[in-house]
Amino acid sequence: MDTFLQQLVNGLTIGSMFALVALGYTMVYGVMRLINFAHGDLVAASAFVGLTVYTQVMGGKATLAAVLVIFTVTVLVIACLGVVLERVAYRPLRDAPRLSAVVSALGASLVIQNGIMLIWGPRMLVFPGDLIPQITWNLGGVVISFIQLLILVLSCVLMVGLYLFVDKTRIGAAIRASSIDQDAAKLMGINVNRIIMVIFIIGSALGAIGGLFIGLYYRGITFNMGWQYGLYAFVAAIIGGIGNIPGAMLGGLLLGLFNALIAGYVSSTWADAFTFIMLIGILIVRPTGILGERVAEKV
Amino acid sequence: MNLLNRFGYAGFFLVILTLPAILDARWLTVGTTFLIFSVVALSEDIILGKAGMFNMGHALFFGLGAYTTAVLNSSFGWPIVTTLPLAILIPALGGILIAGPIVHLRGDYLLVTTIGFNIVFVQALQNDVFGVTGGPNGIFSLDSLSLFGKSFDSPLAVYYAAFLVLLLTLWVMRNLQASKTGRALHYLREDHIAAESIGINTRVYKIFAFGLGAGLAGLAGGIYAVQYAAVSPEAFNFMQSVLFFAIVIVGGSSVPGVLIGVLVMFVLPEVFREFATWRYFIFGFAMILAMILRPRGIWPAKFGRVPKYLLKGEHHGG
Repeated sequence: MDTFLQQLVNGLTIGSMFALVALGYTMVYGVMRLINFAHGDLVAASAFVGLTVYTQVMGGKATLAAVLVIFTVTVLVIACLGVVLERVAYRPLRDAPRLSAVVSALGASLVIQNGIMLIWGPRMLVFPGDLIPQITWNLGGVVISFIQLLILVLSCVLMVGLYLFVDKTRIGAAIRASSIDQDAAKLMGINVNRIIMVIFIIGSALGAIGGLFIGLYYRGITFNMGWQYGLYAFVAAIIGGIGNIPGAMLGGLLLGLFNALIAGYVSSTWADAFTFIMLIGILIVRPTGILGERVAEKV
Repeated sequence: MNLLNRFGYAGFFLVILTLPAILDARWLTVGTTFLIFSVVALSEDIILGKAGMFNMGHALFFGLGAYTTAVLNSSFGWPIVTTLPLAILIPALGGILIAGPIVHLRGDYLLVTTIGFNIVFVQALQNDVFGVTGGPNGIFSLDSLSLFGKSFDSPLAVYYAAFLVLLLTLWVMRNLQASKTGRALHYLREDHIAAESIGINTRVYKIFAFGLGAGLAGLAGGIYAVQYAAVSPEAFNFMQSVLFFAIVIVGGSSVPGVLIGVLVMFVLPEVFREFATWRYFIFGFAMILAMILRPRGIWPAKFGRVPKYLLKGEHHGG
């Protein structure tokens, strides 16, 4: 039972990181019907930017102020990168066949991934362990560390915040309108280009926080880790029903739990295979994901 | 177009036939791999370009063919030539079985499931499933090609064998284009609801496209195993599928387009090998630029003879 509860805690932690990254995929897909393959690499870039801000700018002193500065600066840098990405790689292809934009996204992913390698080198870099206090609590056999609690609480706050933003504000209404029908949204006076920019800012910012969490939690970061985490987050978005914001959160948490339980009870060498078998199974039973809408096909 | 058919292909075959005379050993290897990758890319084009299904797991079928040849040769002692029919049949059957439950999925969901199958396949190979795949190292020191007691173990023989397979593939593609099946696939890709409403059994044709594409990729895989006398899991991972996917889209889903795609996406990076660290950084930009300048690919496919006045919107594809 203790292993089960422990894996539950670990799974929720990993799952909320997946969910944060998955939101970036799902929001872009919702409005543009485009799989943003470069999103995972933006997440990887954020971990490197965060580490550089810590060692170069903050001088490597671990204080609360340092952590706040790291998060703020990294989120700003990655959000700008996201906007640049959209301008350079996606906007010129707005009216092109869908697969052209997919290949452009793959190209952008190569650019960012190899850009990271050219700047920071091909070797693994390690996040300092003392950036976040190393406190752990033992609750009847289940160990929770401070960083896990931080990830869980912050992700929860961000996701609720995003949900309220999309559901209650005017910009949120414009986002929802653009995702239902771009042309109709334009006729209602919505500047769809601006909405897409907002989406890339929010998605990249959430991804940046996810990337920093990955750095803080796993410590080791490599230039090509974006593919691994990006693919998992993307799977999370698909499981929940891509384009659906609560779906991405649910998918992320489910995937994290599933991964942790597989790693805890079965074997880690088969973890990827089991994850994708689960994905295929879910899609065979529910072809548009768990919370995906049933779309009637237009004739 | 007619001119191209008459002289373009003749010229291309002539170049391929005489090329080994001027290539050194390293470039002959690149040449052979170019021919093999062309076959795989053309077979991916049947699924992705002709039938319009977003298949991003094509390396699975390529690998299934390569591993069929390798396992039959190394574990069961079959001569290479006798393994090739099974290197077509097993991937084709695999393609049909995999496609069966998933072809009804909408575009991007299909894309993710095919990625999933590819990852499951590679992980199964790495975990040495059934104890014959050799785990992460793969299988090596396979026999060389031999026919009627004569052994053809020179790289040149493999080059021409690969060329034969490419010729076979081009013949299949030509016949497909001109047949009822080819037209059915084309309508299916343009609008699958309209295709269904005029009596095309879309499900059967979609599965057929997967079977045909997988079979051709499997044959290419068999030759690939012969070329290196070895197979290993990472040659067939999901990044390889991404490469074949990008080749078809960048090239543009016509035979010349796909061949140009292989040239641009595989041979060109080989040329710039010295710039190892900058190579893929620039390559990524080139992919973005290629799509912005030629959104339909470098050499887009044309199908049949459609009067010009019908094409003003140009909204087919994608």
